[in-house]
Amino acid sequence: MANTRRVVITGMGIVSPLGNTVETFGLNLMQGVSGIKRLETDFSDQLEINIAASADFDGTQHFSKKELTVLDRVSQFALYATQQALDNAGLDADSIATDKTGCYLGTGMGGAASTEEGYHRLFKEGQSRLKPFTVLMAMNNAAASHIAMHYGLGGPNLTYTTACSSSAIAIGEASRQIAYGHCDYMLAGGSEALLTYGTIKAWEALRTLAKVDEQNPAASCKPFSADRSGLVLGEGCAMFVLESYDSAMARGTTIHAEIAGYGTANDASHITQPSVAGQARAMQAALDNAGLAPEQIDYINAHGTGTPLNDATETAAIKQVFGPHAYQLAVSSTKSMHGHLMGAAGAVELVATTLALQAQLLPPTMHLQQPDPECDLHYVANHATPEQVRYAMSNSFAFGGTGGVIILKKS
Amino acid sequence: MENTFETVRTLIAEKLEIDKSTITPDSVLTDLGLDSLDTFDIIFEAEDTFGIKVPTPKEEIKTVQDVANLLDQLLQEQAPSLQVQK
Repeated sequence: MANTRRVVITGMGIVSPLGNTVETFGLNLMQGVSGIKRLETDFSDQLEINIAASADFDGTQHFSKKELTVLDRVSQFALYATQQALDNAGLDADSIATDKTGCYLGTGMGGAASTEEGYHRLFKEGQSRLKPFTVLMAMNNAAASHIAMHYGLGGPNLTYTTACSSSAIAIGEASRQIAYGHCDYMLAGGSEALLTYGTIKAWEALRTLAKVDEQNPAASCKPFSADRSGLVLGEGCAMFVLESYDSAMARGTTIHAEIAGYGTANDASHITQPSVAGQARAMQAALDNAGLAPEQIDYINAHGTGTPLNDATETAAIKQVFGPHAYQLAVSSTKSMHGHLMGAAGAVELVATTLALQAQLLPPTMHLQQPDPECDLHYVANHATPEQVRYAMSNSFAFGGTGGVIILKKS
Repeated sequence: MENTFETVRTLIAEKLEIDKSTITPDSVLTDLGLDSLDTFDIIFEAEDTFGIKVPTPKEEIKTVQDVANLLDQLLQEQAPSLQVQK
């Protein structure tokens, strides 16, 4: 990236099915712990596919009653993870309350629970009035707006919604605000809280959800395995603090990783079916942006949803971009453990990728037991594997066709 | 009516998680930390409590007593629905 500033990650925060601190998430991730479980809700018995990767998060423990009247679960996640990220970056309130700090956030469904609660009151309970805060809780940009209000961030504040790549796009675009010198700090990431009856039913109807592994529901998501049957919905959030390399050095803060490149492209072909060419274009765009040759990438944290079509397509796209090196680099899908966090997937997986670079330890693709001829790369299967990694790529692809690919460099 | 004020005071105290005794009829809503949307939220809860429907208020709602007066006025106008509720 000539004539631009180097962009680094100095803070991370998380709410996830694998824990609500980066440390817990990392430990569970590297030990192959699955956050996928039977859903225990009042609508569980009405679901055909009764599993999900929910986050163990109780908003009443973290927010006042007044705050909760206007904060959907998706915004609660975002505020909680942002505070962690700021603490982790060693930034106090005064240093970021400026017009040179912005927030870019990705989400697919925004305040899904608030939308659903509104419909429930109207159509199910037959009431004629909705809570005054319904719009403000449901709107997709609520989470990013609350972050700006809470911390006094006067810089750019944008919400990206490109389905499953939303947060990869948000982080990638945020990195450009730093690279081009528009902002001093960017808070970027994604949040998703869509484990509601209506949303799960809508996903059931798409027939992309994994069948429940009756022996072991936690093992229901099996990316790249011949017996994979689909994705498992998850919820959570990850937020990052991005700043320039010079800024981080001047502050003397720990650099977790450098954002070496970012690329995005659209399949421009089908609303759900992924395209090899489209995915390859997004990966190539990230390589070009980073000024790297394919051979320099050591590890890919794949989109790896666990659907029959995605994993085969992504494998083919990796081969198209990387040629013979595709078989040398390591690939894993951590969705086997934390599920598919939709609009937050790219952010949570970028935490996983950052931890892999820091620990020089690759997180596993769990439940990969049956080789598939269509998925024949060097997958990190079932156990975390120590590996020397300098550059790692995190892939996010999506319904609607927008791919977002971020390349990290070990710091 | 004192009961209406008492109910509004309870709703506000619960929402703000503060001691009821700190809220007087003359307490200004914004001083308590309630903006116009928060006030609508309190009125929304009061609608449920009293079984009435509150149209967008014409007069300025400034104090806790203003909220109570608004509700009292509607309670008189919409008495039948109150009885239904009971």
